This record gives sequence, C-alpha cells and structure tokens, in this order.
Amino acid sequence: MKKKLGNVGIIVIIVALLVMWVVSIYNGLVRKDEAVASAWSQVENVYQRRADLIPNLVSTVKGAADFERSTLQEVVEARASATQVKLSADELTEANVAKFQAAQDALSASLGRLLVSVERYPDLKATQNFSELQAQLEGTENRIAVERQKFNETVKVYNTSIRRFPANLFAAMFHFEKKGYFTAKEGADEAPEVDFDFGK
Amino acid sequence: MALLFVGAGGATTFSLARNPVPPAPVPPRLVNDYANILQQEAWGFERVLQAFNDSTSNQITIVTLNDLGGYSASQMAFEIGERWGVGNAKYDNGVVILIKPRNDYGAGEVFIAPGYGLEAVLPDAVCKRIIDDEMIPYFRQGEYAEGILAALQVIMPLAAGEISVKEYMPQDEVAIALALIFAIIAVALVVFAVAVVAAKNKNNKNNGGGSGGQDVNRGLRMAVLGTLLSMGNASGGSRSSGGGFGGGGFGGFGGGSFGGGGAGGRF
Repeated sequence: MKKKLGNVGIIVIIVALLVMWVVSIYNGLVRKDEAVASAWSQVENVYQRRADLIPNLVSTVKGAADFERSTLQEVVEARASATQVKLSADELTEANVAKFQAAQDALSASLGRLLVSVERYPDLKATQNFSELQAQLEGTENRIAVERQKFNETVKVYNTSIRRFPANLFAAMFHFEKKGYFTAKEGADEAPEVDFDFGK
Repeated sequence: MALLFVGAGGATTFSLARNPVPPAPVPPRLVNDYANILQQEAWGFERVLQAFNDSTSNQITIVTLNDLGGYSASQMAFEIGERWGVGNAKYDNGVVILIKPRNDYGAGEVFIAPGYGLEAVLPDAVCKRIIDDEMIPYFRQGEYAEGILAALQVIMPLAAGEISVKEYMPQDEVAIALALIFAIIAVALVVFAVAVVAAKNKNNKNNGGGSGGQDVNRGLRMAVLGTLLSMGNASGGSRSSGGGFGGGGFGGFGGGSFGGGGAGGRF
C-alpha cells in the first residue's frame, strides 16, 4: 500500500517532466520554423528588389536604337512569370521551392542574355544610367546569392531537427514538414558575363 | 567549387580543408594584412579603426589576401564578414574591406562589403565610386596604404553619420544571463515544491511512512535533471557573443551580419 502511493508521486513528477520536455522540443521546432520564415522573407525581398529594377533596365535599353526586341520581350515575360510565383512561409515544400527557383532562374538566364546583347552596343554601355543600373543589378544578384545561402542554412537546421530523434516523434504530430532548398545550378553557362557566380 | 555546394542540397557543406576563408584572428584585430602589403601602416590603421569602434561601435576591418582560393572577391568579403561577425549584432554595422593585390595569382581585386545596418549609407553605387575614385588610382601604383586611407576618409564619416553608439553590448548580455539564471532557479524551485508536496500528501494519507525522505531526494534529483535537460534545449540556439570585456585594445567582433551589399573592382 505504502509503495503504491509513493509511485503515484513519482508518476506525477514524471508526467510533469515529460510535459516540460515536450514543450521545450515543440518550442525549439517553432523557433527553427520562425528562423526559416524570416530567412524566406529576406529571400523574397531581394528577388523583389531585382524585379523592381527590371522596368528601369528595360526602358533604358529600349532607348538604344534598334535594340533587338526579342531579347527585351523575353526579359519582360520572364519577369512577369517570376513575380507570379509567390510562396508564403508555410508552403515551402520541396516542390514549391523548386518551382519558385525555376521561375527566378529563368529570369536570371534571360537577364544574362540581355546583358550579353548589350555588349554589342558600346554607346549604351557607356552611359551613366546603364552603368549604374548594372552596378545595382550586380549588387542585387549578390544579395540574392547571400540570402539564398542563409535560407538554405536555416532550412538545413530545421530539416535536421525535425528528423532527429526524439523530435521526429512530435514533428509529425504537430505538422512540422520538411522544407525545400535552393539548389546550385548545374550548368555554369546560363548567366554568362555577369560576375556573380556565388556558389558555383 | 561546385562540389562544396552540392552535398545534401545545403550550402553549408563546406569541407574545412578546402574552405579558403581565413578563420577569425586570435586575438581579435581589425587589420589583417595576410598579403603583407601594409608594413608599419598596419599598426596605424589598427589604432584608428579601434578608436573608431570604441567611439561609434562601427567595426571596419581590413583584410588582405594573396589568394582568394577560387572565391570571387564579393563572396570572400561576405563570408569573412558573416563568419567573423564583423559589426555589432544589434546594428549589423560592420564593413569588410577586402584587398587582393595584383600578383602571380591574377589581377588585383578589391571589395567593400557593408553589413545590413550600413547598406543605407554605403549603397552599392557609393562603394563602387569609393573604389574607382579613391582606391584603385593608388592601388595601380602599389600604394595600398594611401588608397585605404583615402577610402577610410570617405567611409568613416558616412558610417558614423548612420550609427554612433558609445555604450557597448556587455550590459545587455549580463542582464540576459542574470535573467536566465533566475529562471533556472525558479523552475527548479517549482518542480522541487511539487515533488515535496506530492511526497508529503501520500505520506499523510499513509499515516507517516518511512520512505518519504527517499522520495523527496529522488524528486529533487529528477527535478534538477529535468531542468538541466530543458535548459540544454532552450539555450541551444543562443548565440555566443564575441564582444569582450578587454580593458584596452580591440574587444572582438560583435556578431554583425551581411546581406550581400557593396561593390568591387579590379586593378
């Protein structure tokens, strides 16, 4: 009899400790999830920054006489489809991130082709307006590379923690799902001439 | 280089042996002339930049490297800034000035990378202009110290105009540490009280049993263990600060962060 009641006390303590433990695991997952969300918002910011630069770039280039329209058209269309792919922080599945990256990389590629074409127009290249735009564009690509890398790092921490025992037991229960990474491009030839090959 | 970034889809899978980013200097210093292009001037720059750090909290570090190990200058500058934690963690007010002299490894390269907090006063176009107008004309003639000095004369007033804070981090950190210790004690006390009450209750119902003391001891042990476990999880994510208490000299980098701003040039 005495022993049985003693066990009740111990069970109370164990349950209390278990609750504390699960809460601390849950809070850890929430913190990592939040870190991914804030890294994602930075990624969106820098891509938006690039999208905002493009109308300016297009109108500057358009001013140059007989600049090939097809290259410009391609950039405008790639920008339109890239800005359509929007992801909120809670839908960062692998498939969605891959789709987002594909749209943005298509824009990178067509921008790269535009900048190569500009090489054939030395007058345009020499203008103050264009060289400043180019510096801004380079800076934006640098920022994109940095924020993508930081995003990947936070996702890696998050993905590791939801797979690691014992947190994996609760991750599924609380709907913490695996998130997608940005992947390094396979072909290094996609954005020639522009020197922001961060991570290649 | 591609290999470094493919593994596990993550960008963090650097192999230590191949990562060309130099580790943060120990003891910490702001002028890191690994390429040996500044002789006696290095000490002067160190003094000036330390004083600037002390008076405004902006951390400007000068790094010279003979070889970028396959990295672009921009990438090297950002990684140095981010890994060393140049600038104050609260303001992200670091600047990395990276110089690779013209040598057997290729053309000369220079990059100015401001942390997030200084991007507004050192936008890419301004960094580009500082490099083209102030630095490269000197660098072309091998006058590195003159070029750096000319650049600092532009950068320092701009940075000081944006962020100028005398008081430094440790005050905050001490407060946080105290709060944390307080929380640990509070949690341990609560768990201990629960354990004691539980043990007492069953002893009373039991008309005073002999095993009460043992239960309390066991409860206490588990309480301490549980607290330690949960603290281990809670403090896992807290950053360690480089901010030091050093009386003189440079206290250390403060954990500032970099977002890819800045510009570079070749000479």
